[in-house]
Amino acid sequence: MTLQITETAPPRTEKKSRRKAGKTPLREQLIGWLFIGPFGLVFLAFLVAPLVYALYLSLFRKAMIGGTSFVLLENYTKAFTDPSFLDGAWFVIRFSLVLIPVQMLISLAMALILDIVTSRFARFSRLMIFLPYAIPAVIGALMWGFLYSKNFGPLGDVFGLFGATAPDFLSRDLIFYGLLNIVTWQWAGYYMIILYAALQGIDPTLYEAARIDGAGNWQITLRIKIPLITPALLLILVFALIGTLQFFNEPKILRDLAAGAIGPDFTPNMYAYQQAFGLANFNYGSAISFALGAVVFVCVYIFLFATRKRGSFLS
Amino acid sequence: MLFAADLSIPKGTHAMKRKHFLSAVATLVLAGSLAACSSDDDGTNSSSDSSGGGGSDAANCTNTIPKPDLPAVTLWAWYPNMELVVDNFNELNDEVQVCWTNVGEGGDEYEKFQTAIAAGTGAPDVIMIEADRIPTFQVQDALVDISDYGFEEVRENYSEGAWQDVSVGDAVYGVPVDGGPMGMIYRKDIFEQYGITPPTTWAEYEQAAQTVRDAGGPLFGDLGANVPAVMMALQIQNGADPFTYDTDNPENIGIALNDEASKEVLDYWGGLVEKGLVGTQDQFTPEYISGVINGDYATYISAAWAPGYLTGAGVGEGTDAGQFAVAPLPQWDPANPVQVNWGGSAFSVTSQASDPELAAQAAFGLYADEASLTDGWTNQVIFPLNLNALEDPAFADLQVEFFGGQQANKEVYIPAANAYEGFTYSPLQQYYYDAMTEQLGALNEGSITGSEAADRLQEDVVGYAEEQGFTVE
Amino acid sequence: MTVTIDAASRRRRPQRHLPLQILLGFLLVYFLIPFWWVVVNSSKDAAGLFGGGNALWFAEDVDFIGNLQELFTYSGGIYTRWLLNSTLYAVVGGVGATALAVLAGYGFAKYRFAGRRFSFAVLLGAVMVPATALVIPTFIMFSRLGLTNTIWAVILPSLLNPFGVYLMHVYVRDAVPDELLDAARVDGAGELRSFLQVALPMMRPAMVTVLLLSVVATWNNYFLPLAMLSDNDLYPVTVGIGQWQGIASANNSGGTSLWSIIIMGSLVSVIPLIIAFLTLQRHWRGGLAIGSLK
Repeated sequence: MTLQITETAPPRTEKKSRRKAGKTPLREQLIGWLFIGPFGLVFLAFLVAPLVYALYLSLFRKAMIGGTSFVLLENYTKAFTDPSFLDGAWFVIRFSLVLIPVQMLISLAMALILDIVTSRFARFSRLMIFLPYAIPAVIGALMWGFLYSKNFGPLGDVFGLFGATAPDFLSRDLIFYGLLNIVTWQWAGYYMIILYAALQGIDPTLYEAARIDGAGNWQITLRIKIPLITPALLLILVFALIGTLQFFNEPKILRDLAAGAIGPDFTPNMYAYQQAFGLANFNYGSAISFALGAVVFVCVYIFLFATRKRGSFLS
Repeated sequence: MLFAADLSIPKGTHAMKRKHFLSAVATLVLAGSLAACSSDDDGTNSSSDSSGGGGSDAANCTNTIPKPDLPAVTLWAWYPNMELVVDNFNELNDEVQVCWTNVGEGGDEYEKFQTAIAAGTGAPDVIMIEADRIPTFQVQDALVDISDYGFEEVRENYSEGAWQDVSVGDAVYGVPVDGGPMGMIYRKDIFEQYGITPPTTWAEYEQAAQTVRDAGGPLFGDLGANVPAVMMALQIQNGADPFTYDTDNPENIGIALNDEASKEVLDYWGGLVEKGLVGTQDQFTPEYISGVINGDYATYISAAWAPGYLTGAGVGEGTDAGQFAVAPLPQWDPANPVQVNWGGSAFSVTSQASDPELAAQAAFGLYADEASLTDGWTNQVIFPLNLNALEDPAFADLQVEFFGGQQANKEVYIPAANAYEGFTYSPLQQYYYDAMTEQLGALNEGSITGSEAADRLQEDVVGYAEEQGFTVE
Repeated sequence: MTVTIDAASRRRRPQRHLPLQILLGFLLVYFLIPFWWVVVNSSKDAAGLFGGGNALWFAEDVDFIGNLQELFTYSGGIYTRWLLNSTLYAVVGGVGATALAVLAGYGFAKYRFAGRRFSFAVLLGAVMVPATALVIPTFIMFSRLGLTNTIWAVILPSLLNPFGVYLMHVYVRDAVPDELLDAARVDGAGELRSFLQVALPMMRPAMVTVLLLSVVATWNNYFLPLAMLSDNDLYPVTVGIGQWQGIASANNSGGTSLWSIIIMGSLVSVIPLIIAFLTLQRHWRGGLAIGSLK
């Protein structure tokens, strides 16, 4: 993955990696396969098979009148001209482009603060900020849905203090930010903990050395801390990408409160669900699922291939 | 290597290694036995619950079955007083028992049903569905024609019109329970405060709304994007005819969503929103309910079952008690009043029922006994279609508590129901409602006009119909 | 030498930084407000909820116990059932996924075999494939096999955790020296024994991490059980509360206002994981950073 940034990697402990697999004794090969076998089966059964099956299903179309017919790639040509699918995909892309930097910045800032401040209060805060990670997305969305309610939640009171009208985060205009807030709230603490652990792993002598050289706090942060935790930043980038690609739970729950702002085609996942379970259109739903899965698979692979360094990621 | 400082590689003794190993094994064993335990648990539970197995594989019932030796029929339904209805049925019936669960209201339930249809398993034997969805499921062969299973015996309990709403051609796909004649619920205190009387036309409705607003009063109503069926009803009231669909000729469908009548209604409501006279909140949400309680809305355009549902949500129990009243739905043309319907459901037998005849027996009997019907209409959770209740003088004379003793049935709902001429529903209903919701959302946002919404709706739904193999007329 | 002195001096003086602490205080309020809201409002009845009182403070009528009772008795006490289901799915799915990841990660890291590079490449490509994209085809597959609406429909797909395998692989590759394994082999230990007795104990931090990730993912899962299950009795708590919310949004609660139950249910449902996180702090705090290897 992206995590193979290996400039500072310690010498590999595996010694005979240069040995060609073909020359490995059959027995060792067999044992290797035995170890990955159970996972391999699950992988084939619940990832490869569904994708292949989705591909197969996506070649057909079932209409209310006329029944099922073989249409080859028509579902895909439809998907890539279907405003519902494209708008949903575009929403997810826009959302990721804002969400991921925001999340990373907030969690980085919090981690840096907690790395400096070592009071009891800071330790307590660290734990509390992490807590939302333990909340299922469904429950998180539900809680924030209540909080967003203008005359039911506290926003009205808070804004009322300043004589202003509370913004309606469940309206069409602001739902983007409403969701942004929920997802950030849920995940920032977890990312913060990852970054914090990485910061704690940095050898403090580096800071002393830098101080002797006349570096201030800001310079230490920018020149030492952040560069040294780049791998952790990449890790949370991966987590955040996985999260946004799966985007379903929060909008699905908020839809009960904001049907006008969140359509059934809000994200590609929701659209696939709606096609399959709302409209009995499993073939088209499968096409969307497959398109999503396959596109991600290929993109990741291209990305890995393009960014591989010293061919190390396949080690 | 790893960052965290405490991840040092353990270099302990053999004993330590053994301990780790054992704890890992113990974890796995524990997990395994947990799994085993609870699947055992499953087994015992379902065997004790599924009493007699009349044709259900769903194990658990929300209700307790009083006669566990009889075969059981599973049921999904969401009427607020369903528990009582099921208990009444089970008490009265000596051949079959009903095992009921509430899997959600409306759309939520339909999604579950759709899922079960696709899976070929998991559907109940009997299901509550709104009359407007019957064609959608019928076209998928998911419902059973019950005209051969004792239909004749109960036929005279309902009007011909009621049967027509649940039939497709000569085949009967449901037993009607309730209808949704519409009216205008309003707040007496607000009307008094601003010196207005219930508007009888939509023009008066707008004037009254303006009067209240000019005096600094609350919103007059609400255009909820999540109640597309209301918009459809209001358009039909103005003479629109969204779908023409004849099951003798199921490949053809007429779609008219952007005729003048439809556009006029959408433009009217779009105008109310633009002028700030009505709210844009989704209905039934906590936000909306607290608004209703706090008097943020002077009127609520709704159906006869609304009082019961509002009461269930806590409306009319605090300072707002006794503040509500109902008036007939405003008209477009007072010379030619038109009455319309929102909601109302039936019990249908699904094609997954293992014993359709038994299931039909339950469908015919549920919510058809006097005690259940009386409970339903006294609490205003149903407007009964069963003639025994509908023609009961006590029903007409009921002084509805929610409306401060107003005889709402006699004054508003019964005349509305009598004048209602029926809608034509199509198999595209689900898609159409979704599309309508989207357009109403855009209308509320102010990004399109009502006419544009109608045009987009037409284009959208026609495209879907053609894709589904229909010839659009 | 300077190392220890510096480290000691760093430890000795707690850094206060008042402005940063105040900033932290604001952050804390933001992250805790939803919890506070849920605690306060789980004590209210419908009138208290909707009556326009302060959303962030208790109503006059504080009724925790009553709402708790209502929650655990509503609809035949089905909520307890949902909690147990969630636990079952999370524990079996999470432990199973971890076990598979441990084996596979070790296999990838320590054995050369034909097809290894290819398999690993496929695995990497799969890491980011969203699980949600697999739900619909898996559902149709399972429905052909008659597996929908059973606990297996939720548990089996939860066993798949390619990212877990990747993490284990990276960890084993760097943290378990071949020399140790070779030494064990020289001592006459078989492959299985050297795995169980030498490698496995060293893999514990990574195991905890993967276990945590899988358990949380399964506990929080919503899409998969929502699609797979139609029997109320098999729901995990996420789907159950989601369904209640749908019912309540239709004002359909048959006399009792479902919203108080939903809020209390939300509160109760988050307690198990919070307790688990707080008590197991020592174990997960370090492990979470695995994968961000240099």
